[in-house]
Amino acid sequence: MKLTEFIRDRLTAYLIYAITWALVLVFLIAFHVPAEAIIIVSILVLLGVTAAELWAFLRKKGYYDKLASDLSQLDKKYLLSEMLDEPEFLDGRILYSTICEADKSMCEHIAEYRRESSDFREYIELWVHEIKLPVAGLQLMCHNDGNTRYSEQLRRIDEYIENVLYYARSGSAEKDYIIKPVLLKRIFGDVAVRNRGELQERGISLHASDLEYEVMTDGKWLSFILGQLMSNSLKYEATEITVTGEDFTDRTVLHFRDNGIGIPESDLPHIFEKSFTGENGRTHTKSTGMGLYIVKKLCDRLGHAVEASSVQGEFTEIAIIFGRNELYRFE
Amino acid sequence: MKILIIEDDSALRDELALLLKNAGYETECVTDFASAVVQMKSSSADLILLDINLPDVNGETLLQDFRRQSSTPVIMLTSRTSELDEVLSMSYGADDFITKPYNPTILLLRISAVLKRSAKTGTSQTYHDAEVSTVKGSLTRGSSEQILTKNEMIIFQLLLDRKGEIVTRDELMTALWDNDEFVNDNALSVNISRLRGKLAELGYPDAIETRKKQGYVLK
Repeated sequence: MKLTEFIRDRLTAYLIYAITWALVLVFLIAFHVPAEAIIIVSILVLLGVTAAELWAFLRKKGYYDKLASDLSQLDKKYLLSEMLDEPEFLDGRILYSTICEADKSMCEHIAEYRRESSDFREYIELWVHEIKLPVAGLQLMCHNDGNTRYSEQLRRIDEYIENVLYYARSGSAEKDYIIKPVLLKRIFGDVAVRNRGELQERGISLHASDLEYEVMTDGKWLSFILGQLMSNSLKYEATEITVTGEDFTDRTVLHFRDNGIGIPESDLPHIFEKSFTGENGRTHTKSTGMGLYIVKKLCDRLGHAVEASSVQGEFTEIAIIFGRNELYRFE
Repeated sequence: MKILIIEDDSALRDELALLLKNAGYETECVTDFASAVVQMKSSSADLILLDINLPDVNGETLLQDFRRQSSTPVIMLTSRTSELDEVLSMSYGADDFITKPYNPTILLLRISAVLKRSAKTGTSQTYHDAEVSTVKGSLTRGSSEQILTKNEMIIFQLLLDRKGEIVTRDELMTALWDNDEFVNDNALSVNISRLRGKLAELGYPDAIETRKKQGYVLK
């Protein structure tokens, strides 16, 4: 709060003071009060008004300056009310109680949404676990009846179910993952076995090498991430998938490369965006634009970087970078 | 070999029992879950398949209880895909952990692997009068020895475990992939013909018989 601003704000009051004083002067002169007395009274009144105005300015300045600086320093501006003290002056108190009340109502509103969204998420998780039972049952029935014709479709159903589950997980605030040392080879092996039917049917050859590295991650999440990458490769006409690990002192990198149709250069920066389907999405109807978006979100939450490179018509490579942080190791 | 199934979804339980029966195991099912742990202890099963989500009880607690008194191998089954469940189960003493829906062939492979581990006889298996060493990856008959590659060993092992029965190409493939050998159809044929060659060298010609459109039988 600047003094000039304060004065400008009080201008009307000063004008009233001035007019009042002019009237007083007229009366004083009319009653033949001596000039010395008029001057002394004028100075006293001026000093009094200035002192009162200065006091009013300073007490407000202290309060509002603190408010402004708190606000600019706050990362989450809506927490402002937590930092405020109740001021002594009237308009400040009105402002204070207004902010507090608005904030409270906002918090209630948000809490309601949060409850709803977490209810929904819990329901989705529950639903996913329930729907997996009949899928598992059907899969066993297919096997027991010696009819494997439906297995592939069941596998696809399961993949879409997983998609829903991890999308729900990727956005929630809950921490339902466990970071521990995981062998890349084990996770990739799981993913490969799950997709074996389709890979073989399409005659896709799979090469895996240098996967004997341990990374700090959640095995289930990583397995889902690799499953997504694999299903992308299958979608975009790859005939060869190469997965390799690379170890550096501060990080381990997993390269997932296929020789599918690739991604146009102009689309490359956007592939991790939600609902982005790009040129390949127009030519391939199966694109939802969700796969890589979920992959990116999960990687972000696990603290892995993910990068994509591609040359259209030649290859697509997704690299997942696992940082190495000794802090995670408790043993 | 007897397997105890503790699973509350009845359709799944019946199919699981059928799958195991077809694979030559005896099965027993738990239907009263409140007294599951009593049945687990009193049963003479060689292996237990235990679901985590059960009515009244939690599979993990059940396992913890059971492990205090018995070392019978337990494989946990779950439809929950959370690393937490796996870590908990393993720390409570589960021998393996499989998520639903499972590939039936893999389930059977895991079961036989766990049973083999618990029987501790895996190191000195024999095929007719030849000794099979999975550690050295070799077949020894008298003074002659044949070294098998990893793939050949996996194939031979599966055929040997089910000697006299038909093993499908698909099952062989699953076993190879489950061991991180991502071979294709051609490679499997090549591996089998090499294995045949090595068996012939040891004096077992025609040991592996091809059943058209069905699979292979080790005689």
